Amino acid sequence: MVFAGRGEPVVALDKVDLHLPPSRFGSIIGPSGCGKSTLLRLIADVMQPTAGIVRLGGATPAAARRDYAFGFVFQSPTLLPWRNVHENISLPVEIAGRTRAQRPPRSAEELIDLVGLQGFEKALPHQLSGGMQQRVAIARALALEPDVLLLDEPFGALDEITRQRMNLELLRIWAESGTTALLVTHSIAEAVFMADQVHIMSARPGRITAVVDVPLPRPRTLAMMRSSVFFDCVNRVRDGLFGRDEACTPGSVQPVEVY
Amino acid sequence: MLPRRSLARRMWSSTGMPLAAIIVLLGLAESAKYFGVLPVFLPSPSQVAAEVVDNPALLGNVASTAYKAASGYGIAATVAVGAAAIAVLVRPLYGSIYNLGVGIHAVPIIATAPLLALWLGVGPQVQITIAALASQFPMLVGTMQGLQSADAQQRELMHVLSATRAQMLRFLLLPSALPYLFAGFKIAAPSAILGAVTAEWAGADRGVGAMMLYALFSYDTPKVWLAVLITCLMAAGGYGFWALVEHVAIYWDRDVEIAE
Repeated sequence: MVFAGRGEPVVALDKVDLHLPPSRFGSIIGPSGCGKSTLLRLIADVMQPTAGIVRLGGATPAAARRDYAFGFVFQSPTLLPWRNVHENISLPVEIAGRTRAQRPPRSAEELIDLVGLQGFEKALPHQLSGGMQQRVAIARALALEPDVLLLDEPFGALDEITRQRMNLELLRIWAESGTTALLVTHSIAEAVFMADQVHIMSARPGRITAVVDVPLPRPRTLAMMRSSVFFDCVNRVRDGLFGRDEACTPGSVQPVEVY
Repeated sequence: MLPRRSLARRMWSSTGMPLAAIIVLLGLAESAKYFGVLPVFLPSPSQVAAEVVDNPALLGNVASTAYKAASGYGIAATVAVGAAAIAVLVRPLYGSIYNLGVGIHAVPIIATAPLLALWLGVGPQVQITIAALASQFPMLVGTMQGLQSADAQQRELMHVLSATRAQMLRFLLLPSALPYLFAGFKIAAPSAILGAVTAEWAGADRGVGAMMLYALFSYDTPKVWLAVLITCLMAAGGYGFWALVEHVAIYWDRDVEIAE
């Protein structure tokens, strides 16, 4: 993926080879500006790659998008402020049309139950907290039963406590919905805790440098964050990001960050 | 959020206080006139008020100006919103449409009104045209800004949902344009009134501007002041009307304010 900037064109993404089996949870971690969000937008057909191909079970991103195969959760909730919770969640169904969509849409009531917003159906976005707004965004992303759920640092703006809780809920919702999920995150612990596979990216030009498999069983629980398997994966991701030497320099004992 | 004050206190500060100030000022002006402090050409408030009573043509004049201003305003709103939509949809035309709006806005009405009267003939069409020309710009700018105010992620959302252009307009662009649209409509309303009144100076048999001009030529200063006062009230009323519509229509966002 090359961006034509003001001066030299910028190679935002170079060698990216990412394969995610269906119904699995993948995460992408990397430093700021490594092209994580760009990668997500290539998959969702928001941008077109300069070279290379993206396929979703054989389909092109454009075809998948027209088939309403994507649920996208942005960094900010990106709700329409003039629509209440129920109306925001029904937006994808309204756009696709009840009859036109090949997939039977989930009812808005069902989705509101799923994300735990009963009683707030008539609330406007500005009346909700940041966490509740992001729940609405997740419910909206699931409205058309997408094949692929793309999550672009969905809880980046939330405080640690809310974030932890939202992650657990997201895993529960994902398990119930049975979609394939791809999560972009800045947090090593989050990347490991959520995913089956952690894809590690480096910056300038953005490329995937390593993939770490997470053998933790599902459903994930907070207790697993104290397990040696978890620590091991976190360390392998950290090694992938910073290099083994740096991580093991004597005298600089790095504690595991549990976000 | 500010601490909530009692209803009585809020009513006092929003309505009571300005009202009291006006009454005090009027009283001062009245007594100043009574004691001969005011110059001859400045009438007392009671003299101006008396003009309302024995003035059978007044209502007709107000109605005439209101009709011309509203017609011009309506035409300007239709054209401005349409032109802004074209500017946003057809990018190459954006600069030209914007510059045309600026150009028309910069034309001195007082000089163009007699010229237009020559072209269009004397009649309400001159004042309607001037009212339209005088009020178009805020509505054009408001609509142009408003239609572009949806942020990048909201646009991406609509794209991922495979929304058609019409759906994009209906579900995202138009609603997010409304606060800007109303701001433009509010600011434009007084301009339409002032444009119509100014145009009436260039020749009109009825209207607040005509009344103002006749009163001036016959040294009827109370009537001139009455005409000035009525023009102010109509202009402010136009603004207030749209402020009210905006307050009712934009229930989700009270942040966007191009002008308070």
